[in-house]
Amino acid sequence: MASISVPVGAHGGAQEAEQPKLRVSDYLKWSVDHKIIGVQYGVTALFFFIVGGTLAMLIRWELLTPNLDLVRTGAEYNTLFTTHGLVMIFLWIIPMMAAFGNYILPLQLGAKDMAFPWLNAFAFWLIPPAGILFIGSLFVGAPESGWTMYPPLSTLFTGDGQTLAALAAHILGVSSILGAINFIVTIMNMRPPGMGWWQMPLFCWAILATSIIVVMATPFLAGALTLLILDRIAGTSFFDASKGGDPQLWQNIFWFYSHPAVYIMVLPGMGILSEVLSVHSRKPVFGYKMIAMSSMAIGIVGFTVWAHHMFTSIAPELRIPFMITSMIIAVPTGIKIFSWLGTLWGGKIRFTSAMLFGLGFLSMFVIGGIGGVMLAMIPFDIHVHDTYFVVSHFHFVLFGGSVFAIYAGIYHWFPKITGRMLDERLGKWHFALTYIGFFFTFFPMNLVGMLGMPRRVAYYLPEFEGVNKLISFAAFVLGLSTFILIYNLIVSLRNGKIAGANPWRALTLEWATTSPPPPTNFISDPVPFTDPYGYGSEGSQAYLDEIDRRFGLGEDTTVPRPAPLPAPSAGD
Amino acid sequence: MLAELLFYRLTFGMDSGFYQNNMAQNALEQTLTRQEQLDLKNKRVGLIVFQISWIMAFICLVIVNLWLRGQQTAWPPVGVEVSLVIPTLMTVALVASSVFMRRGMRALKADKRDSFAANWRVGLLLGVVFAIGMGYEFVAAPGSGQYQNVYRLMVGFHHIHALAIGYYLIRVYQNGRAGHYTPTHFWPVEGGASLWDFVTVAWVLFYVVLYII
Repeated sequence: MASISVPVGAHGGAQEAEQPKLRVSDYLKWSVDHKIIGVQYGVTALFFFIVGGTLAMLIRWELLTPNLDLVRTGAEYNTLFTTHGLVMIFLWIIPMMAAFGNYILPLQLGAKDMAFPWLNAFAFWLIPPAGILFIGSLFVGAPESGWTMYPPLSTLFTGDGQTLAALAAHILGVSSILGAINFIVTIMNMRPPGMGWWQMPLFCWAILATSIIVVMATPFLAGALTLLILDRIAGTSFFDASKGGDPQLWQNIFWFYSHPAVYIMVLPGMGILSEVLSVHSRKPVFGYKMIAMSSMAIGIVGFTVWAHHMFTSIAPELRIPFMITSMIIAVPTGIKIFSWLGTLWGGKIRFTSAMLFGLGFLSMFVIGGIGGVMLAMIPFDIHVHDTYFVVSHFHFVLFGGSVFAIYAGIYHWFPKITGRMLDERLGKWHFALTYIGFFFTFFPMNLVGMLGMPRRVAYYLPEFEGVNKLISFAAFVLGLSTFILIYNLIVSLRNGKIAGANPWRALTLEWATTSPPPPTNFISDPVPFTDPYGYGSEGSQAYLDEIDRRFGLGEDTTVPRPAPLPAPSAGD
Repeated sequence: MLAELLFYRLTFGMDSGFYQNNMAQNALEQTLTRQEQLDLKNKRVGLIVFQISWIMAFICLVIVNLWLRGQQTAWPPVGVEVSLVIPTLMTVALVASSVFMRRGMRALKADKRDSFAANWRVGLLLGVVFAIGMGYEFVAAPGSGQYQNVYRLMVGFHHIHALAIGYYLIRVYQNGRAGHYTPTHFWPVEGGASLWDFVTVAWVLFYVVLYII
C-alpha cells in the first residue's frame, strides 16, 4: 500500500474541542481574524449586491417601454446606470472575491492567518465609508457619467456626487492594494512545508495573479482619479481640451487600470471554478500547470489590451496592435476552458448546486468570451460600439463569469464557513431561475445591440419594445432568484444539516480542519496531501478517510463515503 | 496618536533591508524565533511589493506629463524659464539624505547607536532642506496654465509623500534616541530607510521628467 500523509499533526485534546461561539456582534466589530474579515467582506458585498441589483431592476423597469415612464428625466436614468455600475464593480464583485480570498486562502495554505492581520482588517474597514460615499453621492447631485467617468461628462456636466463617487473609488482602490499586498506576501512566505509552488491550490494561484494585477494597475486608477478630482474641485484642466488638457488622457489611464480590472474580477472566479469542478467531479485537474500559468499570462497580457475600448477614438494605426493583443488574451482563457472540460471528462460528476453554477459559469463565460473576441475585431467593434452588444458581452463575463463563480463558491464553502450545509433543493431552484433569467436577460441584448440600440439611453425605437419587454421580465426573474439564495443562507445558518469537516471529500487543506475552523485555523501544523487534486488514488482516499476519522462526519449524505481503507500499519 | 498608529501599521511596523548583505546581521537575525523571522520576512517582502506598486502611481503622473506636453506646441511654453539650480541642489540633498539614512540603519544593526543617531540626524536635516526647497518650488511654480498645473501636480504629489514619510523618520529618530531599537529589533529603522529610498527614487524619476527631458 502506498504511504499516505496524514492531514494533521498531534491531536489538540481539550483545546480542539473548544470552539468559541461567535455572535453576530463579533462580525460588526474590528477583528484581525481573517475568517471574520472574510465574512465581513462577504456580507458587505452581498448588501451592495442587493443595492446594485435594485438599481438594475429600476433600469429594466424603465426600459419596459420606449419612452420615459419610471424616471422623469434622462438625467435620472443616467444616475441609475452610473451608480449600478459603480456599486456592482467596486462594492460587489471585487469585495466578494476578496471575501473568498480572505477566508479561504490562509486555510488552503495551512496558515494561521494572513501575513498582516491588522492591515487586512484596515483594508476591509475602508469599504463601508466608501460605500456610504457612493450612496451619499446620490443625494448631492448624483453622478451621471457612467461608471467609466469619461470627461467632460464627469467634469463639466454632472453634480457634486461625482466628486464623492470618485473619492469613494479612490478609497476602494487603496483598500484593494492593501489587500493584494497581503495576499502576495501570504502566498510567497506562508506556504507550509510540503507545499511547493506546484502543490499550491489553483485558487491561490488565481488570487496571486489577481493580486499582481491589483498592485500594478490600481495605482493608475489612483492617478486618474486624483486628476479628475483636481479638475472638479481645484480648477485644474487636465481633461479640458479647451485649456490644453485632453479627455483621451483619462480614457487611456482609466482603461489601463479598468481592463485589467476585468481580470481582477474574473480570475478569482476562475480559481473557484478549478476547485469546484475538480472536487465535484472527483477528478484531478486536467492541466494544473497550464491553468496556473494561464492565470499569470492573463495577468501580463491584460496590460496590453486597454485601447480596444477606444477603437472609435484612437489613431487608426494603433488599432491593429491592440486588436492583436486583445485576441491573444483569448488564448490563455481558452486553455483554461479546455482544461476544465478535460477535468470534467470521464469524471464522477455530482450535480450539486456548486457544480451546477460551475457548469453555468463554463457555458455563459464562453459566450461572453466569444463576444469579447468579436469585439476585438475593429470593424465589428466600430459597428456595435456603445450598443447593447457591449452590455451583453460584459454581463456574460461579469455575471455569467464572476457572479456564477461566486455562487459556486458560496455553495462550495458555506459548509466550511458555517459548519452547516446549504439546502441543495433550494440551491437547484436558485440555479435554474438564475440560469434561465440570466440567459434571457442578456442574450437578447446581443440582437438589439447589433440592430443598433444604444446603451445608456432611456429612450429606444418602438420596434425594440418586444425584445426589451422579454429582457425586463427575465431580469425580474433573475432579480427574484437572488432572494432564494438569501433565504437559503439565512435558514441554513440555523437549520442546515451539520456539515462535518469535509462534506465534499476535498483534498485541499481548508477541509483538513473543523467547520468552522478554530481561531488559529489548525490546532497543529497541517500536512498537505502531495497533490491537492489527486482524486481517485488510494493515497487520497486514505488521506480523506483520515480526515473523516479525525474530525468526524456531518449529517449530509450528498457525498457517499466509500468503504474505508484498512488503517495503515506502523510500517507504512 | 491615532494617525501615528495608523502610519506605523501601514508601514508594516516599519523597516526594510531586503538587499542588505551583512553576514553578522544575518547571524543575528538567525537568533530570532521562527515566528519573528517569518514576521520580518513578511514585512520586508510586503514593503517591497508596496514600493513596486506605488511607484506605478508616480509612473502614471510621468505619463500624464508626457501626454500633455504632446498636446502643446512648446514645453515649457515659450518665454518660461525653468531654473535648474534649486531643483538640482535639492535632488543632491535628497540623495545624500538617503545615503545617510542607510548608513544610520547599518550602524544600528552593528549596535553603534551613536553613529545611528548622527547619521539619521544628518539625513533628516538634508531631508528638511529638500522639503523646504521643493516647497518653495511648488509655490513659485514656473509658467502658467497646463504647464504649471502639471508641475505642481508632480511636485505636490511627491511632497505629500516626502512629508508623511519624513514625519515618520523623525519619530524613528526620537525612538532610536530613547533606545527602543537594537540589532535584533530594527524593523522601524530599516523600513524607514527603505521608504526614504522610495521617496528618493520617485523624485529622481520626476526630476528627469520635469527638468531634463
